Amino acid sequence: MTEERMDAADAPESAMPESAASEAAAPEATEAGAEVSPASTAHSAGAAANPAASAAPAAGASAPAGASDDPRVGVFVCDCGTNIAATVDCPSVTEYAAGLGDVVFAEEGKWICSVDYLTRIQQAVKENDLNRAVVACCTPRTHEKLFKNTVGAAGMNPYQLEFVSIREQVSWVHKADKAVATDKAKDLVKMGVAKARLLEEGEEIRLPVKTDCLVIGGGAAGMTAAIAVADQGYVVRLVEKQDVLGGLLKDVNTVAPKGVPAAEVVERLVAQVVASENIEVLTSTEITALAGYIGNYTVDVSRVGVPGTFDASTIIVTTGMRELDATGHYGHGTGDDVITQLDLERRLKAGEPLGAKNVVIVQCVRSRNEERGCCHIGCTVALKNALEIKQRDPEANVYLLYKDLITVKDEYAHMKEILKAGVKTVRFSDARPPEVTRGADGRAAVTVHDVLLGAELTLPADLVVLTVGFEGDETVPHLRGLLKVSANEDGFFTESHVKLGPLDFAAAGVYLAGSARSPKPLRDVREEALGAAMRASIPMTKGHVQAEGIVATVDLTDCSQCGLCWKNCPFGAIEEIDKNPHILEALCKGCGLCAADCPKECIQIVHYGDAQIAAQIEAALEDKPEEKIIAFVCHWCALGAVDIAGVGRSEYPANARIIRVMCSARVAQKYVLDCYDRGAAGVLVAGCEFPTCHYITGNYKCSDRLVRLRKKMEKKGYDTSRLWEVWLSASMGPKWVATMKEMTEVLGLVPACKS
Amino acid sequence: MSDSVLIVGGGIAGITAALNVADYGRHVYLVDDTPSIGGTMARLDKTFPTNDCSICIEAPKMYEVNTHPNIEILTNTEIRKVTQTDDGFTIRLLKKAKYVDEEKCTACGKCVEACPVSVPDEIDGKIGGTRKLISVAFPQAVPNKNYLDIRCRNGSMRSEGACIGECVVDCSQCRECPIAHCVKACNNEGKFAVVLWQKDENIDIDVQSVIVATGIKSHEPPEGLYGYDVFPNVITYMHFERLMNAGGPTEGDIIRPSDKQHPHRIAWIQCVDRGDKGLPYCSKVCCMVAAKQTIITKEHDPSAECTVFYNNMTSYGKGFEEFYQKASGLGVRYIIGRPFDVTEDPETHNLTLRYEDIINGTIVEEEFDLVVLSSGLEPNDRNKRVAKTLKIDVDERTGFFTEPDPLFSPLETATPGVFLCGGATSPIDISESVVQATAASMKAVARRVRVAEEVAV
Repeated sequence: MTEERMDAADAPESAMPESAASEAAAPEATEAGAEVSPASTAHSAGAAANPAASAAPAAGASAPAGASDDPRVGVFVCDCGTNIAATVDCPSVTEYAAGLGDVVFAEEGKWICSVDYLTRIQQAVKENDLNRAVVACCTPRTHEKLFKNTVGAAGMNPYQLEFVSIREQVSWVHKADKAVATDKAKDLVKMGVAKARLLEEGEEIRLPVKTDCLVIGGGAAGMTAAIAVADQGYVVRLVEKQDVLGGLLKDVNTVAPKGVPAAEVVERLVAQVVASENIEVLTSTEITALAGYIGNYTVDVSRVGVPGTFDASTIIVTTGMRELDATGHYGHGTGDDVITQLDLERRLKAGEPLGAKNVVIVQCVRSRNEERGCCHIGCTVALKNALEIKQRDPEANVYLLYKDLITVKDEYAHMKEILKAGVKTVRFSDARPPEVTRGADGRAAVTVHDVLLGAELTLPADLVVLTVGFEGDETVPHLRGLLKVSANEDGFFTESHVKLGPLDFAAAGVYLAGSARSPKPLRDVREEALGAAMRASIPMTKGHVQAEGIVATVDLTDCSQCGLCWKNCPFGAIEEIDKNPHILEALCKGCGLCAADCPKECIQIVHYGDAQIAAQIEAALEDKPEEKIIAFVCHWCALGAVDIAGVGRSEYPANARIIRVMCSARVAQKYVLDCYDRGAAGVLVAGCEFPTCHYITGNYKCSDRLVRLRKKMEKKGYDTSRLWEVWLSASMGPKWVATMKEMTEVLGLVPACKS
Repeated sequence: MSDSVLIVGGGIAGITAALNVADYGRHVYLVDDTPSIGGTMARLDKTFPTNDCSICIEAPKMYEVNTHPNIEILTNTEIRKVTQTDDGFTIRLLKKAKYVDEEKCTACGKCVEACPVSVPDEIDGKIGGTRKLISVAFPQAVPNKNYLDIRCRNGSMRSEGACIGECVVDCSQCRECPIAHCVKACNNEGKFAVVLWQKDENIDIDVQSVIVATGIKSHEPPEGLYGYDVFPNVITYMHFERLMNAGGPTEGDIIRPSDKQHPHRIAWIQCVDRGDKGLPYCSKVCCMVAAKQTIITKEHDPSAECTVFYNNMTSYGKGFEEFYQKASGLGVRYIIGRPFDVTEDPETHNLTLRYEDIINGTIVEEEFDLVVLSSGLEPNDRNKRVAKTLKIDVDERTGFFTEPDPLFSPLETATPGVFLCGGATSPIDISESVVQATAASMKAVARRVRVAEEVAV
C-alpha cells in the first residue's frame, strides 16, 4: 500500500514532460493542441470546473492544494486476487501511479469491487478530498457503473472517474512476460490519470415532458394506441385525414383466420375512443406543419380547411397502408371480372352475390418480386376469402394460385380446414407466372403451370381475384419530412432498429406502430399499437427524458454555420436556431460523430473531449512510441471483443494502448495524425462489425472518414500502411487477437515493448 | 399495495418487458430458471434479416437490466406458488442454490481452472462443446457469476472424476470443504465464494401483475429422423448456429463433427419433424434462419455449396423476402420438397440424400458433407407447470399458452393480471417478441390505473 501526497515541488516535474512534449510537437499536432485548449475552455466556462486551465503546469504547481478546481486524483489498483497480481506487479504499478502528476492518493486493493473495499474507496475520497479517481481493474463494460456510483455516493462527481482495464487488456492476455505486462499496465494507468486530470464534472441532463400525445392515423393501430395512452389519464389528440375513424379495416369484411367481422372490431374500438374523455378526435384533419422535439412539439393542422394549432409531447405514427394499384397486372382494368382482394372484401361485406361459379385467386401480385417483399397477410386473407366463397356457394370452383403458402401456428391448422372444404391450390413459380387471357366471347381464363403436377392448366374464370401487395399511406412523404424520420421506397417508415427498436424512431419522442411500419395482420397491428403506447407513455410518466452526462457541447466562436452537425446527427439532437447549432443535450447519445466531423472543431464531447483524448495519446506515446500501437476502440462491440479475448485468456502482443471511445465515429482525423506525429508505430481504429452500430451508422461514418483520411495522408506523404482498421462483433475475441498479432508482425514490432 | 411486476423468463422478451416496466417507474422482479438471463438470443450468432450480431445487440440490454435501479434479477429461480390478492398476487419463488455466493463471486475463473471435470454443454454438447462442472453460463452472462452443476454436488458425477464424489459427508453438513478443488481455488484467492453447503431459498413477493415470457427453444428431432443422433454429420440448425458463432465451441469455425473438417457441400432440410406426429405447426423462423445460415456460410467460404430443401418460403416480415433473394443471389440452391431419406457412407461419413426433383419428375441421389435439420421451435418444457401455478391455459396440442380472445384482448390470459409475450405465445422472431413484450408491459402497468379508477368511482 502506498499513499503519497504530491508536494508542490514535484508537480512541475511530473507535469512538465507532457506539456513540454505538447509544445515541441510537429506543427500539425501543435495546431491541434492549440485548437483544443480554447474549445475546451469555452465549453467548460459553463461548467463548474475549468480543467484545461488547471492542467497547465503553472496552475498545478502554484495553486494551493484543496482548491476545488485543482485535480486531486486517487488511483485504485486492483489485484483481482491473483488474476491481475500474478502477472502484473501491482505494488510497482501503484507506486508508479503515486508519482504521476496530480495524484494525491494511490492504493492497491486485493478486490477493489468487494463491499469492504468500496467503503475504503469512499473513505479515501473523503479523507483526501479527491475530485478525480482512476480505477485500474477489470472492464468498464461490467464495472464502470459500480465505481461511478461508489465515488458519487462519497460526494465526488461520478463523471470524474476514469476506468483503466488492466485485467482484460493486460494480465489475462500478456501472461507470458510479466515485465511487459507491468509496463503496459503502468502506461494504461498513466493514460488514465492524464485523462482524469482533465475530466469535467458531468450530470444527468433532463428535458421535461408533459402528458399530451399526438396520434397520427385513426385506424385500428391509432385507436388502440390512443385508448391505451388515454387510459392513463393522458391527453390524446387522434388525427385522421378521412371523415370517419376505422382506416383500412372499414373496407374489410372479416378478419383472418377466424373470420371475426371487421365491423365489430371497428365498432368496439370507436366506442372506446368516443367514450374516453381524454381523447380528442380530429377527423378530416391534416397535419400542415410540425416543429420541435420530445416534450415540445407544436402541431399545425387543417381541419376541413380550418387551421388550428396545439402542443404535443410525444407522437405515435399509425398511418397504415393501402393496396397497390394493380392496373395492367393480370388483366386488371380490362373488365369487372378482374378485381383485387380488397374489392372482394368490399363485395363480400356488402353481401353482394358474386355471381361467379369459377373463381381464380392469384397470389403475390406486385409483391415478392425484385420490387418489394412479402405482404405478410395475403395468404391468410386469400384462404379466408376462398373459404367464404365456398361457404356461400359450395358448388363454386375456387382455385388459389400461389408461390408459397405462408401460414403459421393457428393459420396453419386453419389452412388444412380450408383445403378440406374443397378449395383447390395450384403452385406456380416465378419462371412461369399465371396469365389471364380472354376468349372470343370475352370470358376470362387463367393459364398456369402447376409446378407440383408439372402440368399446364387452363382455368376458366368468372372472377379473377388478385392478392395485391401494399404500400405506405400517401401522406408518408409529407409526414416524414415534418417528423424528420425516414421511410423506405414503398412508403413504410423505418424503425430505429429492426430487431430491438421496432416501435421507436431514431429520434426520441416519435413512435411507430402497425402497417405504417410494414404490412401485418390485425393482431400484430394491435400489439404494436399497445407497445408504441408504452414507449410514448414512459417519458410522459417520468415527466422527462434524460441523457447520461456524456453529451456534445458546442462553442459557436468559430462556427461557420455549415450545418454538417445537425444534418448528420442520427438522433435529431442538434437543433438549428438562426443557422447556428444548438444541442438538445437530453437527446444526445454522445457518439461524437458531430464533434469529429466539425470542420471548425467547435464541438466537444463531455468525457471524450479533444484535450482528454490528446492527453491519453500523449501519455501513451511519451516513452518508446516506436514500439506502440494506439488503438481507438469503441465501447460496445469492439471493446466487447477485447474483453472476450481476455476472458478466453488469449495471449497476444502487448503493443497496443487502447483509448476507449463511445463510438468509432468519435475518432477524429486529427487524433490519427497526432499519433503519427508523436511517432506511434501504428494506429488501429476498432468499431462494431457492420451492419451493427449502437449509434445507427457511426461505424459506416468512421469507415468513410478513414477513406478520406488516407487520401489526405497520402498527399501529405504519410505512410498509411500503419493505419489499420478492424470491425468486430462483441464475440470476436479471436479476431481481435489475430489483428494484434498480424499488426505487430506486419509493422515489425515483435517482440513487444520490453523495459 | 404493491405495484411491482413479476416477469417470468429472462430472454429477450423478458428483458424488453423488464426495461419498459422499470423505465415506466415500476419495480420489476425478473426471474429466470437458468443461471443467466439472455435466453435463446444470447446463443445465436446473427439475427435475420440484417445479420446483426446477436450478442452485440442483446448484451447492452442485459447490462442495462443488471444496473437498472428498478430491476431485481433472480436467476436459477422458479415460481412455486401464487395466491391472488385483492389487488394483485403474492408469489413464492424458489431460488435454487448455485453453490456460489453471488455477492462474493467475481467470475475470476480460478474455480473453473481448478475443476477437474468437463461435461458436454447442454446446447453445444453434440458439436463438441464442453464446460466445467463449475462455470459461468456463457462469457457475457448476467449476472456474471459462476455456478456449480448440481450433479457435482449430489455426487452423480462421481464416475466422471468429480473431486467431491468420494466424500462420505453430505455437503450440507460442512462449512468448509477440504476436498473440492473449486472451494480451495476460490479460498486461495481470498474470496470464499464457493459455498457447497448453500441452500435453496424461498422468496415471497407481492406484485400487481405478471408477465409470462418463458420463451421457445430449438426442437430436438427424434432419434433416427434423417439419421439424427445416428450419423455424426447430421446436426440441427441450432448446432449449426453455434458452429458459426465466434463465441461457440469452435470459435466460429464451421467444421463438421466427424472429422473436424470444413464441410463444402451442406444441405438444410426445412420443416423437419413438422406434422401431426411432430410439431403440429409452422415454426415461422426456420426459413429465414436457413437463409441467414447459408449467407454466413457463403461469407466464410464463397465456394461452399449450400442447398435448402423447403416447402413454403416463409418470408413474411420486413426485409425477409429480400433476405431470401440475397441468399438465392449468392448461389444458394433452393429445392422444393423434403428429401425421402438420408444414408451415410461409413468410411467418409458423407451423407446421401434421396429426393424428388419436381421440375423434372425424377428421383435424385446426391451426396453432402453435412446435413442441417431445421427442426423448428417448441415451447419451454415448464409451460405446463407455470400454467398450473398461474391458473392460465396451455394449448394441449402445441404447448404454447393460450389467450381467450387474441383479437380483442391480445396477450391476456384466463387470469386477469397475467399477460403473455414472446415465445410463450407462439413460435416467434426476435422483433415480434420485442413488440409483444412492450405491449405486455403496457398492460402490466396499466391495470393498476384501471383498478384505481374503479375504486375511485
